[in-house]
Amino acid sequence: MKLSYLYEIVLFVLLILLQVLLLNRIGLFGIATPVLYLYFLLKLPMGKNLFYVIISGFLMGLIVDVFLNTPGMNAAATTIVAAFRKPVMNLFFQKEEYDEFVPGIYTATGPFIRFTILMVLMHLTLLFFIESFTLFNLMSTLLRIASSSFISILLIFALDSFIFKRKRGEQV
Amino acid sequence: MRNLFNFILRNSHWLLAILLVAFSFYLVFAHNSYQRSVYLTSANNVTGWFYDTSNHITSFFYLKKNNAQLLERNAELEKKYYDLQALLDSVIASDSMVVEAFAPDSITTPQFDFIPAEVVNLSFSGVNNFITLNKGLSHGIRPDMGVISQQGVVGVVANVSPNFSVVIPVINPKFRLSARLKNSENYGSISWDGTNVRQAQLQDLPKHEVFHEGDTVLTSFSRIFPRNLIIGFVSNTGKSGDDNFNTFNVHLATNFYTLQDVLVINDMFYEEQQTLEETLKQ
Repeated sequence: MKLSYLYEIVLFVLLILLQVLLLNRIGLFGIATPVLYLYFLLKLPMGKNLFYVIISGFLMGLIVDVFLNTPGMNAAATTIVAAFRKPVMNLFFQKEEYDEFVPGIYTATGPFIRFTILMVLMHLTLLFFIESFTLFNLMSTLLRIASSSFISILLIFALDSFIFKRKRGEQV
Repeated sequence: MRNLFNFILRNSHWLLAILLVAFSFYLVFAHNSYQRSVYLTSANNVTGWFYDTSNHITSFFYLKKNNAQLLERNAELEKKYYDLQALLDSVIASDSMVVEAFAPDSITTPQFDFIPAEVVNLSFSGVNNFITLNKGLSHGIRPDMGVISQQGVVGVVANVSPNFSVVIPVINPKFRLSARLKNSENYGSISWDGTNVRQAQLQDLPKHEVFHEGDTVLTSFSRIFPRNLIIGFVSNTGKSGDDNFNTFNVHLATNFYTLQDVLVINDMFYEEQQTLEETLKQ
């Protein structure tokens, strides 16, 4: 139990650092920015306390905001996604699956892929629409959502398969 | 009543989520108070430290290029120095008496002073772009100071902490600056439409203004920048909202992708001018 908390804290910090120090400096073709910190919410156990999920989502967004000087934007988007995590999960996963179950690309390939795609799309749609509230350019916003989601989803799958392979290797 | 309590208890996580989202949106819309708060921006010491450290590492990769740029600049200045020296020599040789009699006034201060600073973080992927510098209040940087690079105008200081400052660059939709073409006195305003990091828009220039591709765009009257600083070069005509005015796309002189070293302009007379203009308003 203690170990899992430590693991979560390390993941939390590493994802934030990855996001603000590396990923946010990437602007593929000037529009696509990978947003990976949502991975933390995807990888919490299925039956995790809802308050824990929402508060950690909010904190994650807020810390990213502080680094990126975007007042409240990431916080709002991530909190909403965190609140809807449970209903979205119920769409794709069997309810009978136990509470400690952590979805992953190897443990539940199909549902995890669908779950990730929906969550990232929700997150980035919210994020970019909040961000461009004052801007009028709908086409460019939609283009940014589509391209950023695509690259984020790919990177999340890559990251997940990478972490899990290593874990398997350690167990053997 | 019990059912109500049960209902609230069962759905209290939604309540929490709504509260947190409301707070986030408060931050989104309370722009002004946000700009003033040092704690929730990258100007605070913790985030500043992270950016500073990462910058130490990444700046190594740019050393060669920056060095080349510095050498170029150095050569340019040296040439100017020799030109001026030659001019001075010729003047002194022809009329040394006058120069001696006319001692330079030692109490005149130059209007502008430049504080060199390093970029520790910058974002250009989103709509809300900003730059964090590694100098702040303790180095003499104040809000509303202009920031330039070796190539041209960068932005305006928005927020300072003791050791860091946040700059709103030209490539931020909130940025406005009056500008003019090099060969005319009519001025328009520079802004950014959020699409291209290398390109800003020069708006509100009268229709009769003659221009050519590649014309230099300079700063005009401004409280913040000295006149005639390079902003960029005209690349083509853009979309204009008004029939009586032209809008140009301006290729920015500053390349934000590789921005490393900047100069913060300290206008010695800023406060004097400010107070003078304030008296008129009353």
